[in-house]
Amino acid sequence: MTTIELPTRQRVDRLERMWQPEPGVLGWLTTTDHKRIGLLYFWTTLVLFGLGGAEALTMRTQLASPNNNVVGPSTYDQLFTMHGVTMIFFFIIPMTTGAFGNYLIPLMIGARDMAFPRMNALSFWVFLASGLFLYIGFAAGSGPDGAWFGYVPLTTRAFDPGRGEDFYALAIIFNGISSSLASANFIVTMFKMRAPGMSFNRMPTFCYAFLAASFGLLFALPALSADCIYLWLDRNHGTHFFDVAKGGSTLLWQHLFWFFGHPEVYILIVPAFGIATAIIPAFTQRKIVAYPLIAIAELLVVFIGFGVWAHHMFTVGLPTITVVFFAAATAMVVIPSAIQVFSWCMSLITGMPRFKTPLLFIAGFIFMFVNGGLTGLMFVAIPFDQQVHNTYFVIAHFHYIIFGAAVFPIFGGMYYWFPKVTGKLYLERPGQISFWLIFVGTNLLFFPMYIVGLLGMPREIYTYAPSTGWSAYNLAETIGGYLTAFGILALLGNLVVSYRRGEPAGPDPWNGPTLEWATSSPPPEYNFAVIPTVTSAYANWDVADRERDARNLADGAMVLDQGHETAVSSVADGRFSEIVEMPHSSPWPPILAFCLAMVFTGLVIGKIGLAAIFALLCLVSLGGWHWKEPQEA
Amino acid sequence: MSELAVPRTTQARNARAVARAAAERIGFPAGWWGMLMLIASEGTLMGSFVATYWYLRLRAPHWPPAGIPDPKVVVPMAMAGVLLTTSVPMQLASLAVRAGRLTATRLWLLLAFVVQSGYLAYELADYMDELHRTAMTRDAYSSIYFLLLGADHAHVFIGLLLELWLLLKLVRGLTMYRLNATVAIAWYWHFVNLLTVIVIGTLTSVNVV
Repeated sequence: MTTIELPTRQRVDRLERMWQPEPGVLGWLTTTDHKRIGLLYFWTTLVLFGLGGAEALTMRTQLASPNNNVVGPSTYDQLFTMHGVTMIFFFIIPMTTGAFGNYLIPLMIGARDMAFPRMNALSFWVFLASGLFLYIGFAAGSGPDGAWFGYVPLTTRAFDPGRGEDFYALAIIFNGISSSLASANFIVTMFKMRAPGMSFNRMPTFCYAFLAASFGLLFALPALSADCIYLWLDRNHGTHFFDVAKGGSTLLWQHLFWFFGHPEVYILIVPAFGIATAIIPAFTQRKIVAYPLIAIAELLVVFIGFGVWAHHMFTVGLPTITVVFFAAATAMVVIPSAIQVFSWCMSLITGMPRFKTPLLFIAGFIFMFVNGGLTGLMFVAIPFDQQVHNTYFVIAHFHYIIFGAAVFPIFGGMYYWFPKVTGKLYLERPGQISFWLIFVGTNLLFFPMYIVGLLGMPREIYTYAPSTGWSAYNLAETIGGYLTAFGILALLGNLVVSYRRGEPAGPDPWNGPTLEWATSSPPPEYNFAVIPTVTSAYANWDVADRERDARNLADGAMVLDQGHETAVSSVADGRFSEIVEMPHSSPWPPILAFCLAMVFTGLVIGKIGLAAIFALLCLVSLGGWHWKEPQEA
Repeated sequence: MSELAVPRTTQARNARAVARAAAERIGFPAGWWGMLMLIASEGTLMGSFVATYWYLRLRAPHWPPAGIPDPKVVVPMAMAGVLLTTSVPMQLASLAVRAGRLTATRLWLLLAFVVQSGYLAYELADYMDELHRTAMTRDAYSSIYFLLLGADHAHVFIGLLLELWLLLKLVRGLTMYRLNATVAIAWYWHFVNLLTVIVIGTLTSVNVV
């Protein structure tokens, strides 16, 4: 053991050398570093968020006044479909799991990378390719126009000719591959890669939230993929899954879609719960109230979410007993949700909250979530649901949940982890202003939707008559929409300016509770020079443990510098189990993603031969991928 | 806890050292968990197909629709039974590799590969033959019938590719990577075998249930 005699500096240099990425663009193309992949996800989803936002603003501009003529009905149909698909599949899921999860989870659990680094890169490249696939179709005039839930028979070939819905079906399967890979990777990472000593009852609640969302994705997405396979086959190859005349069923689409679609809602917001439970302890300087209940509630929300799908279908004529069952199951979701709300509130009340921008966003999130949650609970009253079904009341409800509860914490998280990612502090006062702009803007945008919904304004109409009396509300919504967009631009502008001119942040500006704050900002390629040892769920507050890490570095213990190495632990109790070589950078993930994209392109333009050739090339690139094993590299 | 007490599993360079390192670690490796995730995801996809079959069937006045003969029962179930027995050599290969017995691992894998290939060859010929007589586009019954059966065959095919790849890798000796792969691929085959029994059981249940 010659390494033990080497001084600390040389040991760190050795790690630097071992983990050094390829230079330049090639380094980004072939990277398997979870932090770089997280950033790639972040920038890509930000662009897609911009596109989805532009679509929303165009719709709001159209609806600003009655009988408006900014866009025609067929464009409007494409806009709301693309807006929904983009925000759900191409913004929130990849932003939370892809960007936040990728960057933060290995840091929080004290690992040097994800369990499957190359598969992690693959999920990003597949995600990027699927986004390009959908938007190239849209730009070429083949945007889907059957809403994000794509109900049959409206989306069958007979009623919706053109390529739009083919792009929809295939893009969602394509995107689903990416999300399935990512969720499998997160689950195994959280099971096996936790630092020694981090048993399940010491894993940060942030990780529990992402674990719950990953399980949700893993088990919900296949139902949607099956559904989209049927849709594509029915539209292009003459099968009859949804053709009632030939023994098919249109309700089949809805059952499978919502079997995915409702867990999906929780998949969107549970990571936001996780972000909230990460930010609250840092700005109250106390442990989160009821840690075990929070962890269980996060998992339980998703679990119950698998048993409530038919509450989206109360008006299609299901048997009464079915409807009542699903209403009762839906009411049950209140329990884990309320546990979390009370925990956040009690943590704020019993701590010493400092309302810096991230915590402001979390406070705003709690308000929005309670608001959207209470109107969600109203849908359990079946006659009320049937009354407001398909109106703007529903739109208001799920935008309070999806924008208010899922996106607010994303914004808060952007501010909170900005110093970690860039090493700079953001500007506090402009940050607070951006919060108030977004908070006022979204409430002005979404609250009047409750009212016009109750007044009977149906969703997905491209215009309305002045005699309806909806004009003032719609104008207010549009103003709110622009105010929100302005707030988001203020937020992004703040981050850009801070990145250029911000004060240096140091490793831990917030005295954060979790391990990402124990390393430098931005973290080095290998994350931690010493694999940390963990004795509680608030590892960065355990001063003695972190001092031991520093001593370990001096002694050369737990440095794991004999290669591209990381520690692997046992699943439940986090006992140190083995030391493994991790894969280096690899060109194969982007190549495989490209081949997959060509397969889907072949399928959508009806060139099965092209698809078959590239399917074969997919296998070849998988062969190349596995040719060299990590320890041979 | 020092890293000195913990095995550097990927550094083992011969079969015996690999087996020893595998025995020293606690619990299954990440690769095995990854396979479990694949099984969970694929199982849910296939579960959606099976659920679709029953959903359509329970709403149909005649199943199969008039004009389509009932599916064969005895031969497909017997074939599924044959495939199920390959779980035995797969598990023996998995045990052998963990004992560091490389030759036994290769032989068990080869035996399983031969039987599974035979199964797939017969089933594919039968599939094409059925497709020839009844088009997938005839009605909802034939759509789900051929999709479900075809998806099951695709899983067998992917299993064969994995096995072939593993056999090629094992020619160059044993590493921790290949040991993990053997254990994981054995699990994949247990899953596929069970899946096949469920799928063929579902499709042939017309006369029984």
